[in-house]
Amino acid sequence: MGQRDFSGIIGGALLIAIGLFVAQYSAEHYTTGSLRRMGPGFLPLVLGLVLAGLGFIILVPAFFRPGKLPSIDSKSAIFVLGSIVIFGLLLPRFGLIVATFCAVLTCLIPDPKLTRRGKALTAVTISTITYLIFITGLRMNLMVWPLV
Amino acid sequence: MGTFEGLLYGLQTATTPTMLFYSFLGVFLGTFVGVLPGIGSLAAISLLLPVTYYIPSTAALAMLAGVFYGSQYGGSIAAILLNLPGTPSNAVTSIQGYQLARQGKAGLALSTAMISSFAGSILGLIVLIAIGPLLARVGLEFGPPEYFCLMLLGLIAAASVGEGGAARNLAMVVLGILLGLVGMDVNSGVQRLNFGIAELIDGINLVALAMGFFGLSEIIASAGTSGGKVLDADTSLSSMMPDKQARRRILPAIFRGTAIGSFFGAMPGTGAGISSFMSYAAEKRLISGKPGHHPNFSEGAIEGIAGPEAANNSGAITAFVPTLTLGIPGDVVMALMLGAMLLHGIQPGPMMMQQNPDVFWGLVVSFGIGNLMLLVLNLPLIRLWVILLRIPFSLLYPAIVVFICLGVYSVSSNVFDIFLVAGIGAVGYGMSLLGFSPAPLLLGFVLGPLMEENLRRALLISRGKLTPFVESPISATLLAVCVLLILGAIVKSVRRQFVQRSIEVKN
Repeated sequence: MGQRDFSGIIGGALLIAIGLFVAQYSAEHYTTGSLRRMGPGFLPLVLGLVLAGLGFIILVPAFFRPGKLPSIDSKSAIFVLGSIVIFGLLLPRFGLIVATFCAVLTCLIPDPKLTRRGKALTAVTISTITYLIFITGLRMNLMVWPLV
Repeated sequence: MGTFEGLLYGLQTATTPTMLFYSFLGVFLGTFVGVLPGIGSLAAISLLLPVTYYIPSTAALAMLAGVFYGSQYGGSIAAILLNLPGTPSNAVTSIQGYQLARQGKAGLALSTAMISSFAGSILGLIVLIAIGPLLARVGLEFGPPEYFCLMLLGLIAAASVGEGGAARNLAMVVLGILLGLVGMDVNSGVQRLNFGIAELIDGINLVALAMGFFGLSEIIASAGTSGGKVLDADTSLSSMMPDKQARRRILPAIFRGTAIGSFFGAMPGTGAGISSFMSYAAEKRLISGKPGHHPNFSEGAIEGIAGPEAANNSGAITAFVPTLTLGIPGDVVMALMLGAMLLHGIQPGPMMMQQNPDVFWGLVVSFGIGNLMLLVLNLPLIRLWVILLRIPFSLLYPAIVVFICLGVYSVSSNVFDIFLVAGIGAVGYGMSLLGFSPAPLLLGFVLGPLMEENLRRALLISRGKLTPFVESPISATLLAVCVLLILGAIVKSVRRQFVQRSIEVKN
């Protein structure tokens, strides 16, 4: 158990930062207007300040409170999110099948139990299923194969 | 149109082959999605949303609704056999259900869950039919100030009842509203908070937001694990039926659960999830330790399944009450349903019963038909779902990730949205690590722009004065409840600090 509730401190600090940033940005770039005629910047300004205030309310007690730091499963996070990015990068130029195949492989990189063959097989299966559902079934307008 | 005529009209609408097909598809997909861990009704509905463009409106809504309450049934199967609830509201079912399964009574647990779910749904449906038209009539009196106060109440209720502290949830609500304001402001034509990114002119993609915060965080959290061991269930029909003694205990629990579920479901801002937790707490307090009652909650008590399952199913149905009659979503999934309705040009609210009676009553009857389908089909089909559960998670989640990408892409055919969902997923995962729950954020996201619109209109009419908010009896009452909730939350946290402080002093 840590001496301070770090998740509360970090969370509160982030909220204060975001809230103040939004408030300041809105006041500068959009007309605030008045209560009678609310401009586009009115609500962002007010809410930004409210958010900062809430961040403060969260931060202060967390300072005096012991708490645990949560464990971060960064491996899963990196590979799952990475596979999405790869999918997005490959889809426009290489089409659905290639994008799906690579995305699945990326997802499965950290998996200790599947063999390389197993992962490839899974990727092929999922690519096939995806094709059947989205192209054959739903008839989505997607490029399937790479631009050759 | 009176209630009785409405029901007959609804029966006519809901029994066309198209409607029956899509109702069935909805409940089937719903159960399927509920059984799979890592993807819930929220994910499925937001993925199916773009697909419903091509389907007639009422059928589309019936299908999405079917996914919603169907997932409650499926989730309980995963909760009992795998100790991994398929949806958040089934989490409490896993406590008692998995216990019973370990004792070899999985069949009993499963059938109790199914029957309670069905009973809860039907009773909740009766509540919907009884209260719905009444509430719609009240809703006709609502003007911008009343709508604003009701939405505000919904957000504050969600913040104070949800888990985490009230301050954290409120912060999430505010953040959600701010995210909802991103994009073009309808009134002034100004592009707000999009920092020059052209793809954000129409605002942040709702599906990306929902998937990123809910789906991806779940998947990242479960990806490293190997999943649980599926317990064997004796799935022959005869072994599953509860005997007379069990029936005597289940029935009152069902009624209690339904009452709790209907209450929380109908309130804006709270829905099926909270209902099941409240019901579980109630059952535990009522049953545990009572003389003459053999179960105590450490051994597996079926009241702990019957109550919460009835609660979350009735809550799911009654969540449609404020959504359909007032246009205010009862919880996160209802917010998505609201989005779906708006997409099809249906304006939910008091006028809905007059302008689109076929949609309203058709939906209502389809709920009844859908639940009947679920009961009839799931008892024999449990074997199929159990097989599904045995597929190792590591094979499933890459597929889910790809489906998320495609679902997000399908909304506006924008590759940007795929990167967006990855970014939101990262933020969402960070948020869950810091102890912030995403549900209030999604509610704020959907309600925020609506609230701004009503606030602006109200202030325009009153020329800047805030008095109409307290002059009108409806909005004054709503505001008073808001204040009470906020005070209650403050008192709760202050008391918690004192208790903690006194414990530390004692030590």
